[in-house]
Amino acid sequence: MTTSIRGPRTVCRLALTIAALSCSCGVWAAETTKFTVNGMVCAFCAQGIEKRLTALPATQALYVDLEQKIVAVEAKPGQSLDMTRVNAEITDAGYSISKTETVSQSVEQIRAELKKAKK
Amino acid sequence: MGFKDSTMIMTDLGSTWREVWVNRAFTARDAIGAGGLSMRSDDGRLDRTLAEVTYTRLAQRWNLPHAQANVWLFAGIGTVSGNDFDGRRTMIAPGVQIDYETTDVYLAANARLYRAHGLNHDFASARAGWALQRADYESTQPWIVIEARRMRELSESIEITPMLRLINRRYFLELGVNDRAEARANMMFVF
Repeated sequence: MTTSIRGPRTVCRLALTIAALSCSCGVWAAETTKFTVNGMVCAFCAQGIEKRLTALPATQALYVDLEQKIVAVEAKPGQSLDMTRVNAEITDAGYSISKTETVSQSVEQIRAELKKAKK
Repeated sequence: MGFKDSTMIMTDLGSTWREVWVNRAFTARDAIGAGGLSMRSDDGRLDRTLAEVTYTRLAQRWNLPHAQANVWLFAGIGTVSGNDFDGRRTMIAPGVQIDYETTDVYLAANARLYRAHGLNHDFASARAGWALQRADYESTQPWIVIEARRMRELSESIEITPMLRLINRRYFLELGVNDRAEARANMMFVF
């Protein structure tokens, strides 16, 4: 099979196709786990969660929302969070998890969404 | 105490009470530390200086959907000196604290015995706080806190101190002026 590329327009179409396929397959989609954490009411105490989870090798980004009691942890591309370890870290920071949910959103998207909901 | 494997530094500085200590949490519920406390009577005639090692135990924690409540136990032992006796005396300082906190309200009661041969400086305090704005982990949170405290044989009155509390992640600062118009500053830092 031979492929011929005829000029910039074809290259552009090819790039758009790859981008569309990537999105639809979720190849590069961010994966974030949202934990609802009981007892997380104080920033001075909750920063223990941030410190411990940020230090995990698979953590790309993290967001803490005290009002919604949510800790969102985004995994690095191509990696998965060790959920047993994450659960243990939150417990060792002194809290308990009431709900866990994995979503195809980045931490930035979750931050924007939660901040918008507050307004 | 902070979270497991963290170190916390705390100071409480006022005209009659100056305290500095550091502790290390070696589990999620246990910490050991060392500190120094300088106390002076309201009239300025008596002073005490205590150097102690402490053990802090989180005896019970309730993690509720929108609140947290704790029971803390303290055990301290050290030596105390004073300007009305010679040498140093062994002092024991067991205590208990109960607190309840949401993102809007903070309540705490603390009692601690400070006992040595011929000395009884038992201490008690109560605190209530209110958040001044909606909780946001990524910005500084201001609170108004009012504390009432008393120490036996050093103060015949209950000291009332309204304070502004500022929390920004690992930094905790309280600034206030008590009912005798004396300044007070509390700081905590955890890492």
